[in-house]
Amino acid sequence: MTQTQTKTHAYKADIFCQDESRVDWHSKALWTLREKRDRAAKQLPEWEQLRTLGSQIKLHTLSNLGQYLETFEANCLANGIQVHWAKDATEHNQIAYDILSRHKVKKLVKSKSMLTEECHMNPYLEQRGIEVIDTDLGERIIQLAKQPPSHIVVPAIHMKKEEVGELFHEKINTQAGASDPTYLTRAARAHLREQFLSADAAMTGVNMAVADQGAVIVCTNEGNADMGANLPGVQIHSMGIDKLVPDMDSAAVILRTLARNATGQPITTYSSIYKAPKSGGEMHVIIVDNGRSDMLQDNILAESLKCIRCGGCLNTCPVYRRSGGFSYNYTIPGPIGIAVGASDDDSNSIPWACTLCGSCSYVCPTKVPLDKIIARHRRLKAEQGQLPYGKRHYMPLVGKLMANETALNCSMSIARTSLKILPHSLLKPFAGAWGKYRELPAGADSSFEAWFKRNREQK
Amino acid sequence: MSSKHTILAALKQSAVVTAPKPLINIEPISVSGLNESNELSLVEQFATNLSTVAGKLITQGGKSALAEHIQSLIEQDKSVLSFVAGVTGNRQSPDRAHEMHDVDFTVLEGQVAVAENGAIWVTLPEQHRVTPFICENLIITIKRDTIVANMHQAMKAIDFNACEFGVFIAGPSKTADIEQALVVGAHGACSLDVYLI
Repeated sequence: MTQTQTKTHAYKADIFCQDESRVDWHSKALWTLREKRDRAAKQLPEWEQLRTLGSQIKLHTLSNLGQYLETFEANCLANGIQVHWAKDATEHNQIAYDILSRHKVKKLVKSKSMLTEECHMNPYLEQRGIEVIDTDLGERIIQLAKQPPSHIVVPAIHMKKEEVGELFHEKINTQAGASDPTYLTRAARAHLREQFLSADAAMTGVNMAVADQGAVIVCTNEGNADMGANLPGVQIHSMGIDKLVPDMDSAAVILRTLARNATGQPITTYSSIYKAPKSGGEMHVIIVDNGRSDMLQDNILAESLKCIRCGGCLNTCPVYRRSGGFSYNYTIPGPIGIAVGASDDDSNSIPWACTLCGSCSYVCPTKVPLDKIIARHRRLKAEQGQLPYGKRHYMPLVGKLMANETALNCSMSIARTSLKILPHSLLKPFAGAWGKYRELPAGADSSFEAWFKRNREQK
Repeated sequence: MSSKHTILAALKQSAVVTAPKPLINIEPISVSGLNESNELSLVEQFATNLSTVAGKLITQGGKSALAEHIQSLIEQDKSVLSFVAGVTGNRQSPDRAHEMHDVDFTVLEGQVAVAENGAIWVTLPEQHRVTPFICENLIITIKRDTIVANMHQAMKAIDFNACEFGVFIAGPSKTADIEQALVVGAHGACSLDVYLI
């Protein structure tokens, strides 16, 4: 097998880890979010019940998805909403462009949408002469910096306020050297208000699509989705097929956990329900598959579609916090990024950007079994003969060794003795990357098996 | 085959085992140690949660306190747009929504208030949808008996069949996108005062 051009997770993480103080800062910022989430969850005695309900609602919807999508479409049409179906990213972008070009749109204001990132829509529209303005503050920052998002909820989490200050000074004429978040946010408010007031169309993502209402729910803290969608004549909402929920009672369960699990807030500032076009306006919904129905054909991978994109799994992940969002070879980083993006990873390395500690599954508000899904991806890569470079050679040998009792006991005995008598500097090279930043362990006196026989087996 | 049919056909191959729809039956959080009257405890819960999302509840004085406040704002040369009967502003709802970009204060009626998270359900049947977002500051009135304990009760209290657009508003617009520092006042209103009337 030939090596691909895509760099591995370890290679990209190494770049991020060169600045040790930034890694610590990044890890701490995300852990703060995790702690806020824990406090918010503890305030609700029914938290675990909500997680169970969230999981059941999503599983129920996914297991009847075709039917719910048709109900949703019929109700949207009855409400005067125009519905479009896109099987992949290309078709999504074409549909969006067709709507915009029909209305001769020059400027589109966009509210945060990981789906349009997944479809690489911005460059597609920009190449066709449409100016696309991301309006979530974090998204605007990274758009001005010409970077992709590094987190799904706080996309500019990797940037320091001094860096934002410098960027804003260059792009939107703030004072040189300014780094006060309030000053910078107010400057962005003024800058983006001009964009909202001069836009010809707006586009948002969808947090939930409510089947029995024919409505979409959009949640933001800044109000950018609503400032966008409610001013120009055309509003477009892009959604994955996995965004469906049956009704408003189901939506209530998810509205209760979404923000609490993301940032520790009891609910996002604005949870808007769009059920019809505004008077004199047009409302479009684009329903996108782009690989999701393939995922549903594997009953373990399918559960990743229960995700409500709160970002809780990223905040708790010990690997994400220390390797940064740009190391995952996918728009969505962290555990959920591995779950939904591993199949398309040419480096075949991201399922190993995980310690299988299970913290992500433990915090997930809809109980997506992320560690199980990631382990599944490793198995699939192995079965497809796509183990990453290195693993391909030594893993089969490790398997043979572990399966042979005599050989395993013998090698472990040699390892214990070597750790006791040989200098560690001599052994370190054998520990590979693991030993680069770690001391070797002290050799035990005997094997666990011998200890067990002596102390437990006869008693 | 159209993309719709391609997608629906692919979904027929789904490996997900049919799961029943769960029964959503969550009792409101019982509030012990507060007042005997459940009504009052809901107000307290609402006030507490509204303050955690940076909003402020004014419980004293009702509509006359609000009218006085609006009067003083107008005397300070602020522009005020009011949709609450008995409270008069000095601006009218314009033909074109964009013209509201310089409104200092907008006063709206809230339909349902949620104690668990400080959110208020607002609908705008006749006005521009952008009204509660585009103003610099927002004032919402709520009636005591419209406060419900949690989101499940809120969904039951709202008639979605009659609504084309509605929004749960929990506090003023805010962001923490620059180094996680909370800044109140991103794109929407920079402050939210809620009057209990």
